Formats: sequence, structure tokens, C-alpha cells
Amino acid sequence: MPKEVVIQIEDARVEMEGRTILALDHLEVSRGERVAIIGNSGSGKTTLMRMLKGYVPCQEGKVVVMGDVFPIKDTQKMKTHHRHIGMIHQHFDLIGRETVWQNVYHGRLGYVSLLKSALGICSERDLQICAQAIHEVHLEDKQRRFARTLSGGEQQRVAIARALAQEPTILLADEPVSSLDPALSEDIMDLLVSVCDAYELTLIMSLHLPELARKYADRILAMKNGKIMWDGSSDSLSNDRICEIYEFMGTNGVVNGNGTRASRSAFTWPYGWQGQPLPGG
Amino acid sequence: MTPPDWSVWDVLLTSAVETLQTTIAGTFLGALFAYPLGVLAASNWTPVWVHLPIKAFMAFVRSIPLLLLALLFVSAVGLGPFPGVLALAVHSVGVLGRFVAEEIEATDPKPLLALQGTGASSLQIIQHGLIPQVLPQMVAHLAIRFEMNLRDSTILGLVGAGGLGFYVFLYVKQFQWQKSGVLVLAIIALVFAGEFAAWQVRKRLI
Repeated sequence: MPKEVVIQIEDARVEMEGRTILALDHLEVSRGERVAIIGNSGSGKTTLMRMLKGYVPCQEGKVVVMGDVFPIKDTQKMKTHHRHIGMIHQHFDLIGRETVWQNVYHGRLGYVSLLKSALGICSERDLQICAQAIHEVHLEDKQRRFARTLSGGEQQRVAIARALAQEPTILLADEPVSSLDPALSEDIMDLLVSVCDAYELTLIMSLHLPELARKYADRILAMKNGKIMWDGSSDSLSNDRICEIYEFMGTNGVVNGNGTRASRSAFTWPYGWQGQPLPGG
Repeated sequence: MTPPDWSVWDVLLTSAVETLQTTIAGTFLGALFAYPLGVLAASNWTPVWVHLPIKAFMAFVRSIPLLLLALLFVSAVGLGPFPGVLALAVHSVGVLGRFVAEEIEATDPKPLLALQGTGASSLQIIQHGLIPQVLPQMVAHLAIRFEMNLRDSTILGLVGAGGLGFYVFLYVKQFQWQKSGVLVLAIIALVFAGEFAAWQVRKRLI
């Protein structure tokens, strides 16, 4: 039986300020796959994830994520789309002055009406889902602490729990361990992979280290200048192959000009709540 | 001014209470308008045709000296503490509103984007993302504003807007230095107490 395809991309192009920062000929991801994207800074890893999340519009081509055909115009539909795709970030992006529990509860906001969230009314089901998510990342004893008082690894675990509370189908992890030390990185990666198995999530992560990609992913995409240069199972990625890939990706540390622009744009203010349409929506 | 003439004790108490009441009413009346205006004046939340005029309005209000505002209100609504309240309120709108706007402009947008990514609506993002980030600073600014308004309101009496300053001025005009000296001491004590209170609030929040 063929596996269900959750992401389908044909000839998609993302342009920013007149420059093409992402050009994908063909990409299909099936449900339950664990995909790692490797490549230099500015190779388009983050842009690809932001496009899948719906933050960055793609100018041409066909992109279908979980049956939603891009671009998604309707705001309500975009909210549902956001809900289906959990995302964790390099710098965790938690609300530091709220507790761990509250941060995990934020994952439920897409399901809760404004009135209920304003009055702090949680349904039994929301409480249960949050408790389960916190249990999954082993933070039960710290759920009343402020998020900013936690260590980096713990904060990333809170971010994972928040994503789980969304009940997503796809989990995007943008450099999930880049700001953590090597030992912690392995812990977080182990956790990430185990929760993805437990919740049957499709995991797409961008990683700097090919070793981590080989260890934790079953499929690896290598990107350069917004293009996919190599796509295959992580078993077939031999050491020779890595050297080959990193050679043509350029190991001299020169950061691609387009890419710098792209990653900077990742931090601009989202205009979704200014009455203007969302990027991509 | 020495020796202090403590026979003005009752005048001191009533006018000190009046000054304190003027300050509290003026600060909170100002804050009531300053917070919504400040949110609208944040350049990353509202389009330019909204935040620019509001910023200009607040700068204009700030540029009018407080005593001049008090004079205007005294001639508009008559003598007493009420014009003092209005003057303080209007001045606070200009100053506090600007603080609020700058605080919002300085918030980290990434956690808010992460909240948007969970499917939260705009108002939910404000409630769960923006307010927790800016609330402590806002309360701290309010405490500082209260402290400064307390200091300012002690001299509002010079133009007939009530409080301690009115009696200081009255006794000075009558050359009753011993009595005015007592009131000046009261002003110093009051300002000191206000500073202490604001410092306590800041210490607890930041």
C-alpha cells in the first residue's frame, strides 16, 4: 500500500525582493517520514520550512500540504493550517514571563475561542492534552516555573510540548539544537524522535551537523542556493558522499548573499494581525 | 524659615491629602487614556496614518509645560484641585503613552510569531504574547509617572490648582516664613515617600 503523501511540491519558487531564494523542482514527503535538511547557512532550509508553515508566499508552482493547496487565502483556513503544523525554533521562542504550563497551553489557543482563553476557561480535554504533552517531555515538576528561568534544553522541551499540544500532523524543527551543547543536543534529538514516533508525526528538521542528520533521520535533503542537491535515505549517505556534498555546498564559510537576506527576513514582524493578509494568505 | 511654626498642622494635613488625591486621580485618569493611545502609537502594530498623528499629538501635549496646562485649566474650570487633576492627566497621556508605544515597539516579535504558528488569533496573541511581555514595564512606568506627578502636583498650587503648593505660596506672600517652611518640609517628605513607593514597585517587578 503506498504511503499517504502529506507534502507535495512541484516547481515551486519563492522570491524575495526580486531574488529567487528557493527553487524546488520536485519534493514529496509521506506521512511518518523523518526528514533532515542539511546545508550551509542561507541555503534555503529555513525558507522552505517557513513556506510550508505558510509564513512565506511561494510565487509559482504547486505546493500542497496536508491537502491544503497554496496559497491559502482564507484566514480561518490559514489558522487551521497553522494548527496542523507544529514548529519549534532555534531560540525556543517561548513567552518568558509565563509559566511552563501556560506556554504549553498556548498550543491549544487555535482550538479555544477568544472568550474562553480570555477568561481562562480550559476544557477537560485541553487540560488532559497539556498534561500529556508535559509528561511526554518530562517537565511535570517544573510546570509552575516561569519559562525564562529554565535552562536552554528545558526551554526547548517546553517548545516541543507546546507543539504537541497543537495536535499537529507535521512537526517542523528549525535548527532545534543549534543553540544547545552537544550532549543536550542528543537528548533533545532523542526526545524529538521518540515523540514523533509516539504521536505518529511527520518530522522535518533542519540540522547543521550531518552526523545528527544521519543518526536521527531516515531521509536527508541537502540544499544549496535554494535548490535540493541531494535527496536520499540516510543509509545511502556515505562519508564519501558527505564530503562530496559539503564540497559542492562550499565549506569555505562564505555565506550566500541571498540566503543572508532570507534568514534576516525570518525575524520581521508578522503582519497577520494588522488587518493585512498573511504572507502566503 | 526657622523655627518652624507647627500651628499650620491642620492646613498641612488637609492640603497634603489634597495633593495626594490630585496626583492619584491625575495619574490614573491619564493612564486610562495613555494605554490605548500608546498601543495605537506603536509603529509595528498600526499603519503609519494611525501611529504618526497619535505620536505627534502626544509630542505636542508633552511639549506644553505642566504649569501652563494648569493655568489653562484653572481659567477653564475654576480654582481648586480639579484643574490640577486635568493638567496632570493630560501631561501623563503624553509621557506615558510614549513609554507604552516604545515598550511595544521593543518587544521581541519571534515569540509572537510562534504563537501565531499555533493557530492563535490576533487578540489571543495580544493577550497571551504581548501583554505578558510588556506588563511589568508598563506598571513600572506608571509608578515612575506617579512619583513625578506627585512632585509636580506640589507646585500646581502656584497657579491656584490646589494642594500644598497653594498654601506655600499663600504664606510666602504674607511673609509668614515659619509657616511656609513647615509646608516645604511636608513637600519634601511627601516626594520622598512617593519615590520610595515607586522604587518598591519597580524592585518587585523587574
